[in-house]
Amino acid sequence: MRFIIIGAGRVGLRTARVLRQEGHEVTLVERDRESVDRARSLSFDVVAGDGSREEVLQEAGIAEADAVGALTGDLNVNFAACLIANHHGCRTVMRIDEDYREEIYQQYADEVDEIVYPERLGAIGAKNALLGGSIQAIADVAQSLQILLITITDQSPMKGYTLSEVALPSDSRILAFGKADEPLGIPLPDDSLEAGDRVAVLAEFSELAEVRQLLVGDESAAAALAGGESS
Amino acid sequence: MSVTAYILVKSNTSDVDRVQSEIEAIDGVTQANIVAGDVDFIAKVAVETPGEVKDIVASGIQTISGVENTQTYIAMA
Repeated sequence: MRFIIIGAGRVGLRTARVLRQEGHEVTLVERDRESVDRARSLSFDVVAGDGSREEVLQEAGIAEADAVGALTGDLNVNFAACLIANHHGCRTVMRIDEDYREEIYQQYADEVDEIVYPERLGAIGAKNALLGGSIQAIADVAQSLQILLITITDQSPMKGYTLSEVALPSDSRILAFGKADEPLGIPLPDDSLEAGDRVAVLAEFSELAEVRQLLVGDESAAAALAGGESS
Repeated sequence: MSVTAYILVKSNTSDVDRVQSEIEAIDGVTQANIVAGDVDFIAKVAVETPGEVKDIVASGIQTISGVENTQTYIAMA
């Protein structure tokens, strides 16, 4: 797919990098000269200019883009870019700077398809790191649905069993599996669970306790609370 | 004499409908919109004297729960 990312700062550049790694075409729009040079030195396609101006976005190829990420630190620029992008039929993603604004834009800004608040994602990561333990909340994918990354320990009741033998509650699924020190991959029925292996599970909030009991066993209460609320 | 002014309002709450209606309920405020960008509302004020603008801002808008700060612009033409 073709993406335009407005803002080549910490958030924009990192997003562009991830998209490029996954084989997508990315054009960055950035008005700060130094940031333009830095992004170009990383071999990114960069249009120097103000992303809230239509001619700049046209130069970046908005006519052919599938989606636009307005990821600068300037809310006015981000919103204007989303208005223009929406007019050109693109999916629009807007970065906001304060959490109370999330609901406001969701309610009133029809031109914006998705809101991102990077600090919230950072806070989830920091909370996981601080709590430690064998469970990491990766994302809240819906009101009552969470993805967890669980590390199998010596205390795990399912240690030594294969994935096909793990009887998870009905409203939960194993999404990915990785042996210790190997990347996560597609879970296979014959994969066996050993200490240090990681399992990504999608589960309803109501079943988190049962999933935790099954895959982690009795761990400290602090680590068990690693699954967090969304705000 | 009549004075027109625009008040830019930054809030810290997502309860914007309540704040909007409380701003609009103030005497002298003719309109208040929820806006996109780095402020959350812009209110238009039409009164007789600059002193009344100050009253609307200081003892009106700034006392609404959830309002963080305001910037006032008096129209010149």
